Amino acid sequence: MNKYVIRNVLLLLFLPLIPVQHVFARNLTGEEIIKKMEANQVQKSARLEGVFIITDKFGERKKTFKLVSLGTDRTLLEFTNPEEAGQKILRAGDEIYLYFPEAEDVIHLKGSALRDSVLGSDFSYEDLTGEKGLLDIYDVEAEGMETVNGRECYTLKLTAKNRKAVYPGEKLWVDSELFVLRKAYYYALSGRLIKEMEIRKVIKVKGKNIPVWFVMEDRMKKDSRTTFIINNIQIDVPVDPGIFSLEELSW
Amino acid sequence: MKLYRIALRNIKRNKRRSILSGTAIVIAAFTIVFMFSLEGGMMQDMRNNIFHYITGNIRIRNSAYTEYESLNPLNLRIKNYRSVIEKCRAYSNVLAVSPRIRFYTSIYRNDKDYRGIGLGLDFNLEKDFQNFGENLVKGRLPAPGKREIILSSGLAKEMGVGTGDKITMLSRNMYMGMSGMTFKITGIVRFKVESFNKSFFYMPIDTAQRFLKMDNSATEILLLLKDVSRLKETVSGIKKLLADSGQPLEVVPWTSIGTWYSIIRMADVMYQIIALIFFILGSTVIINTTMMVIYERMREIGTMSAMGMTGSEIVGLFFLESFFISLISALTGVILGVGIILPLTVTGLDLSAYMQGINFDISTVLHPQLDMRSTVLVFFYAVAVSSFASFIPSRRAARIEPVEALRAL
Repeated sequence: MNKYVIRNVLLLLFLPLIPVQHVFARNLTGEEIIKKMEANQVQKSARLEGVFIITDKFGERKKTFKLVSLGTDRTLLEFTNPEEAGQKILRAGDEIYLYFPEAEDVIHLKGSALRDSVLGSDFSYEDLTGEKGLLDIYDVEAEGMETVNGRECYTLKLTAKNRKAVYPGEKLWVDSELFVLRKAYYYALSGRLIKEMEIRKVIKVKGKNIPVWFVMEDRMKKDSRTTFIINNIQIDVPVDPGIFSLEELSW
Repeated sequence: MKLYRIALRNIKRNKRRSILSGTAIVIAAFTIVFMFSLEGGMMQDMRNNIFHYITGNIRIRNSAYTEYESLNPLNLRIKNYRSVIEKCRAYSNVLAVSPRIRFYTSIYRNDKDYRGIGLGLDFNLEKDFQNFGENLVKGRLPAPGKREIILSSGLAKEMGVGTGDKITMLSRNMYMGMSGMTFKITGIVRFKVESFNKSFFYMPIDTAQRFLKMDNSATEILLLLKDVSRLKETVSGIKKLLADSGQPLEVVPWTSIGTWYSIIRMADVMYQIIALIFFILGSTVIINTTMMVIYERMREIGTMSAMGMTGSEIVGLFFLESFFISLISALTGVILGVGIILPLTVTGLDLSAYMQGINFDISTVLHPQLDMRSTVLVFFYAVAVSSFASFIPSRRAARIEPVEALRAL
């Protein structure tokens, strides 16, 4: 499910933070905290530009992109850096399609291919899928309060209800004031930590709090880290639904 | 009468016994010659396959590539590979060079994905390594610069594609990003080594460079040498030649690459043990037969002794009988072995029906190697074993009193 979190976060999910109400939610249940956090993530539409900065044993690489989203289930990402210019990733619900300018077919990613890394980053395609809410996939337990980068956060323990979840377990740190995700751990069935994500920057757009700087580390890779930065974002702008079709993708 | 005449007469007198005794020696000598040749062929075949398909006699790579090989690090490449090739060619002991780009892909066809191992090759230079001309079972080689590929027969079968079909594949490119491209299949190749017919496909090196965004680069360059015994000296010479190439390159002899050399050495020891077992089995058959033939002639020995033949004459007689039989039989066995092996060294022994699914770098058509030294050794060995095997029973028999020997069954 963390895929859900990552998707929303990564794909801008503009965790718009509803006008911060001073909800002194210290006595909120885990479910209530999740609901408040997810309420912040719903955007009608968004356009943004950003960059993946991938750091590993071979050095640092930057992959720039622009992205358009509509609702929670349609996202079109197009890479703009010279090496991958024109490559597109279309997410429609749980389905992922890839377009390459020199390929005659649009690739429908399925099965184990979804676990492949996106451009060698610490994000997998699987991280981008999923449109269900966290509460549909996980049982949530509020564990307490902790401080992350100077922000007071609720700590939540999530346990997958079934084996369909991308990550069988998660631990989330949710900002107690803004109700945005600040940090997340993703675990394998064995309890081993697989990935770790931290949100380093949140900005306010149209009165909503939106995370724009994420750092993801895949613990299965040695010396690997991906920073995802949104440089320019517009929310609730007009978007043509037609651009999310397979026909448009290969144009 | 001279002993050798009596011996020859005894051999002729009981032809059935002589033929049975000789046949054991023929079979033993033939089997040993055949097995030695087959094992020699297997070892040679394995070496050839490793040299031509995998390592060359010498392999050149970016010095950091091997450490990260499992990550398919196309960024750790040999830049300006053509100039490296030209320098290598200038070295007198270099027979052939082949630049290669090795990469891993996901291949998509009809909504299914398959895993493939790609090699970008210069098909002209590759002639001395993997012989595509001889192994192309359908279609033609891809044209340089075109988005064309040839598939190994196993991969084509797995995907259900043939010449003229198109497939789309994804691979990590030199910038660690993803590249996708659609290729037309122009041919199907089937190598004699079954393990190379599974996941491999091949494309022109310039097409691979475009696909993987590798400009004028290769991941490795393989060298074949005119004189492999000068391997160390050539490695040093090539290293000196490439020292001013402006990039970190490793020049490695095949004996230091991975586990290939260890595998060869292990296989060599294994085959020698198997050969030794056959040798022992063959010797046992010869010794058994010779001793039994003498023991069953106790009464005859008693008669000869009673007629005044001395013990040493009896031992000499049986030694000569065994010697004559083994001489003829060993020669027949060796000639039979050579006669069968010689044509097989040219036509090969087709084992494809028995090697389906075997993931080992031995060709499905084996060419036995006749080693004259071991063949001659087998001949003399068979004669010696058989002749000396007669000593034990005949010496024992010669010591027995004639009356006792005559009572023997």
